[in-house]
Amino acid sequence: MPLNQISPQIIAITGAPGIGKTSLIRRSIQENPSEKILYFSPGAGTVPIDSTQIQIEFPDVQILTEGQELELIEYVEQGAIAYIELGFHLDLSSGENLLQALSEYRTERIAIVPKGLEDSEWYRWATEVRTAECNFDLDQIQMWRSPCTGQMFDPNSLNVIWYELTQGAYGEVCRCKGIFDLPDGRTFYVDYVSGDPDSLYLPLKLPRWLDGRPTRFSGIEVMGRNLDGKAIAQSITDSCLSDEVISQYQQQIKQSLLVSA
Amino acid sequence: MKIAVMSCIHGNYEALETVLRDIEQQKAEKIFCLGDLVGYGPFPSNVVEMIRSLDIPTVQGCWDEDIVEGLNSCECSYPSVLAEQRGKFVHEWTNQHIYDETREYLAELPKTLLDGNLAFVHGSPQSQHEYLLPELNGFIALERVLSTGADILFCGHTHIPYVRSLDQGQLQVRVMTGVETLNAESRSFNTDLKRIVNVGSVGEPRHGRPNATYVIYDTDSDQITMREVEYDYQKTCAAIIERGLPAIFAWRLAKGMEYAERADDASHLCERGV
Amino acid sequence: MSIWAILSGIEGNLIAYEAVLADIKRQTPKVTDLFILGDVINANPASGKVIERIQQPRSGELVAQVCKGWWEEQLLMLHGYVQPIEPNPLMEKYGAATAKQLWDSIPKETVEWISNLDFGFMELDCLLTHGSSINVLEELTPQSSPLQLFDRVMRTQANRLFCGRSGQTFRYHIKDGSVSSTVITLDGIQPSQSEEASERYIIGVGNVGRNPNVSTYTLYSPNTDKLQFKTVRYGSGKGFN
Repeated sequence: MPLNQISPQIIAITGAPGIGKTSLIRRSIQENPSEKILYFSPGAGTVPIDSTQIQIEFPDVQILTEGQELELIEYVEQGAIAYIELGFHLDLSSGENLLQALSEYRTERIAIVPKGLEDSEWYRWATEVRTAECNFDLDQIQMWRSPCTGQMFDPNSLNVIWYELTQGAYGEVCRCKGIFDLPDGRTFYVDYVSGDPDSLYLPLKLPRWLDGRPTRFSGIEVMGRNLDGKAIAQSITDSCLSDEVISQYQQQIKQSLLVSA
Repeated sequence: MKIAVMSCIHGNYEALETVLRDIEQQKAEKIFCLGDLVGYGPFPSNVVEMIRSLDIPTVQGCWDEDIVEGLNSCECSYPSVLAEQRGKFVHEWTNQHIYDETREYLAELPKTLLDGNLAFVHGSPQSQHEYLLPELNGFIALERVLSTGADILFCGHTHIPYVRSLDQGQLQVRVMTGVETLNAESRSFNTDLKRIVNVGSVGEPRHGRPNATYVIYDTDSDQITMREVEYDYQKTCAAIIERGLPAIFAWRLAKGMEYAERADDASHLCERGV
Repeated sequence: MSIWAILSGIEGNLIAYEAVLADIKRQTPKVTDLFILGDVINANPASGKVIERIQQPRSGELVAQVCKGWWEEQLLMLHGYVQPIEPNPLMEKYGAATAKQLWDSIPKETVEWISNLDFGFMELDCLLTHGSSINVLEELTPQSSPLQLFDRVMRTQANRLFCGRSGQTFRYHIKDGSVSSTVITLDGIQPSQSEEASERYIIGVGNVGRNPNVSTYTLYSPNTDKLQFKTVRYGSGKGFN
């Protein structure tokens, strides 16, 4: 999906959960290479799932977090391209100050809106509206999220949790995504959007983590209605491995890697 | 004569009552129970008391054993860390909600019952923890039946009912014995029709619907009928939450959870003897 | 090429074990691996000597790979290393005096060493163990049910099961077989299937120390699948036991 022919320098994107905001940014980064690219997603807090994934896929892209708005403006002044992703859970006006500050640069405001949704503030906000399939109601969607950094998941347990989440055991889930560390040292990005038949399981291009608990980011974000966050948290806690088991796994993996090397 | 066989009630009193009513309507004269009276569900003691008061011959299930002996099942019988944590929680809960007398009753349950050409076990004749799945290798399945000396082996534990007929079993073997002078002989073995009947689960079904399942065997016509009975599962779900058990068990019960958590390798090598 | 010497049941008989070791040394082609499938000990004080002999092979001798046997399991039960079984097999078979003798014969350090022994070995497609794949105490013989034997090999994914509990030498070859299977579920009847049995072997490896003046053991070459039972006679016939 190419952007406009006269490439904008600021690309702000918003839209429904799971509708393809980050995917659009990733494709655009790939198709529009540039010397300096920034990615800024306010409100990600301690669970920066999208920016972690973008950083792994595009190591040269600079990730900026909340509080680095001034830096962002400086980079843009020096010619950088900035992608600003506004999550569904944010008020649309929350990015407005920054966008105003950058108003002298060519800016594209893209809203990805569910097909058939006609009256929405997205139409007033956007310079370009794109539509996409969305199989769930956007009313009263709440968010539950948690960092899991340092935890390693028992793979079978993670499968159970994911099944339970997507089948509605903890409330009606429209979208959930996460980055999870497994005891064999691999890190997976897992993504579910209600209405899709399957979840995406994507091994991330990271070196295997084989020394103790990982210090790199992992975490989970769930969007839906009537979410029972306490129960999700309990199941996550019950699925993580102890220090002892982690070290056993890691020794085994190291040995088998040695043998196969 | 009609015999009713049920299993895996798991403290679900509501389901048990409904199934007992259905058994009466089906005019079964005798009932056997394949264990797992407790665990998961909110009324372990009431279920045990009901089974006792009706004098239903019962074998010990893995949950019954664990409540008595403490959680001594080998680690490999847990399919996941999550299942283990949840299992331990419910084990503790059940332990606190059960009378000493009930515990004694569970302790004394036999592991196998035989009645004529019928054998009754919870998991398999080898272990309460072994899953006899319908896709188990036919010869191993046959071995499980033959090891009891019965023609029909009734089991539970998987929570999904099935009837498996094993017919025209035959094996050719050649045996050499001796040391310096070897004797060799060929042997041929044949077996008649043997059956494995998994009776499903009264109180925690996993066939994709919330209904209770059990089996009726008519000894005169040699016919086996799998019964699926609706009951007010919402009542049990509400009690699960009300009595402080994890809400996830209520959800699974309402779903008739097909995604059963079970040990991957039912025939793993374990020094405890499965 | 690998040649395995597989023995079981020394049962504290050092002279028998020496005789078998000497016979193993005489073999051509040379024996490359030595497996002892349990029952190294018995309720006699000489058991300690046999263990020392195994722990400290002389120069040029093979290091034995040892797994637990019936007697080791009884000892570990006495010392509380493994869950007790009711009724106690040792008491049932030999009585309390033997149990005491077993306790007295094996020093604490040796018990510790025994507690670390393996249950069995999986080598290539062969499982080597004292009893069976499910239990150290289980005795498999040529008279065992063919389905039981088949099950014990099958469940470990092995093709060959070497065992020692019976003390006999035998080779039980399951050549072929079939069974037809039909499954009915709540969703209806599934098409019936015919299953074929694949070839499996159960091998009894003999016994070193139980019978005075005569030991049996097994040589096996995994490369050629050649199996040979060996008899070793030793002593003057008056009995050294």
